[in-house]
Amino acid sequence: MSSRNHTQWNATPDLQRGEWVDSRIYSDDQIFEDELSKIWKKTWIPVCHESELKEAYSFRTMTIAREPVIVVRGKDMVVRAFLNVCPHRGNMIERRPAGNYKRGTPSGTPKTMTCMFHAWSFDMKGKCVNISRKEAGYQDRLNEDQVGLRELKCEVYFGGFVWVSLNDDIGVTVEEFAAGSLDVLAPSLNEEPLEVFHYHKAIIPCNYKLWHDTNCEFYHDYLHYHNRITGFNDAYFARKNNGFDGGHINVGSFEVQYENYEGSHGREELSFPHLPPNHWYMIDMFPGVNFNLRGSALRCDLMTPLGPNSVMIEFRGLGLASDSKKDRQTRIDHHNSIWGPFGRNLHEDLLAVTGQGSSMHPLAESRKILHGRHENETIHDENGMRHYYEEWGKLLNRSPSDPDKKFEPYPVFKEQEAQRAAAAVE
Amino acid sequence: MAVSHHEIKEQIRELIYNTCIHLDDYEWQKWHNNCADNFNYAIRAFSPEVQTDIKYHGGDKEYMESITNMLNKHNSDQSPLRRHCTVYRVDVAEDGKSATAISSLTVHQTQLDGVNSHVDAGTTSVFLVGRYNDTFVIDGKSIKFEDREVRLDTRRLDKGTHWPI
Repeated sequence: MSSRNHTQWNATPDLQRGEWVDSRIYSDDQIFEDELSKIWKKTWIPVCHESELKEAYSFRTMTIAREPVIVVRGKDMVVRAFLNVCPHRGNMIERRPAGNYKRGTPSGTPKTMTCMFHAWSFDMKGKCVNISRKEAGYQDRLNEDQVGLRELKCEVYFGGFVWVSLNDDIGVTVEEFAAGSLDVLAPSLNEEPLEVFHYHKAIIPCNYKLWHDTNCEFYHDYLHYHNRITGFNDAYFARKNNGFDGGHINVGSFEVQYENYEGSHGREELSFPHLPPNHWYMIDMFPGVNFNLRGSALRCDLMTPLGPNSVMIEFRGLGLASDSKKDRQTRIDHHNSIWGPFGRNLHEDLLAVTGQGSSMHPLAESRKILHGRHENETIHDENGMRHYYEEWGKLLNRSPSDPDKKFEPYPVFKEQEAQRAAAAVE
Repeated sequence: MAVSHHEIKEQIRELIYNTCIHLDDYEWQKWHNNCADNFNYAIRAFSPEVQTDIKYHGGDKEYMESITNMLNKHNSDQSPLRRHCTVYRVDVAEDGKSATAISSLTVHQTQLDGVNSHVDAGTTSVFLVGRYNDTFVIDGKSIKFEDREVRLDTRRLDKGTHWPI
């Protein structure tokens, strides 16, 4: 058989369940709503880096699962997160992406978050400090203590990233949530303060998981001339894809041969602390976070799903806060050469997922998307995606291979569990 | 006979506009030929999000030549970019050996293969808005770019591009 007719095309692949997914998981409206409520509103999400909140009273705004969020650094230098929503009439309190409240706003006094609509003001701990004409309007029926902001769980963790959860009952710290997936880079990122030197965003017409899948699998390095010419040796193909509880993975390192690409040079002089020269580690955290350390520059992708076929990706580049001006510029050039909006690799990745989005748009005929490569859990194995969708299926109680059915553990994972149990007995 | 500052300004305007044509038409080598050996190129924008001036792309003449030489090795969005440029101001140094220019820039993209070509090919949209801030070196025989900063207002660049702006 070569080409296939409609029936053959839609037939169940001759692979184990879990080695393919139904494309409706990338396009269905109801599945997307389930993801927002059962995943994105329940977990830890990194929203920015502490270097974006350098001084007391600085703030950043963002959105998690359609909820407007503001992160502020208080006078006590503690970073806190709140819903960016005024408890009075539901207006978004802060409209700017970033700034500092040391200066007053047209409706408000300095050092307060003030809703411009009716000038209700809040301090950096979320306490309401002013209700305009309170006694005249509310007499003694309502006071400031009753209308504080909605505070959100917030931690600064892993090289200074700011993590927020909408879920008061999350019950785990970020460290516990990460389940060991971050450990491989923790010494490099925690040694000294980091600083954001790059930020840009893209809104791409594809499902957020397609971007995460791309970050989770390196088989797509055939897309990148840069990665083929600077990688694709024995050490590259030996890189391990390691799964962790919670759907997280990380990818082991090797020494990149940057000089094989015309105009490119090694990055050994500016390696992050504890990182061997020109090495490259990657961490992909459930449900859509990527940390990518290539020698001298750290990249972090944060996703905001906008719809089943639309995702905003924020790309950050980070270096060491202690960098000299010259070193910082070199790091920036290293970062931009492949990861900037005009870089060699990022454009290619975004083209590819845009193409997937075009073929898997809402109401498109469902397709079987293969995640079935097995290469001893090394770099071109697709175990990273299988690991992700095991967790996704559990949380949504939907089978990724047939999302109308309830989730059952993948056979391949059952086998692995049995193998691990047998090994433990031995 | 010495060339007047007025004539230099006219030549610089012509150089900027001709460079737009070269870049629009992928005539990369003609662009490089208009650049001095110590040429430097950068695409930058101020990010209100992280309150920092950000360099998105750039390098010296050798680097930019390597970038364009390697284009055929890469998978790129081939949707054409068209530069609409207006030279606002040219300032020539007293000694006539250097000059600066500020130009307004809008780049339109006409879709070819970036999304679903059946549906989207032929659709034109604004790709980015910004300015060219140029510096020139004038040696009496020729005028060449010594520095080009593409200063962007647009920061949402979506898929981006492999092509210099």
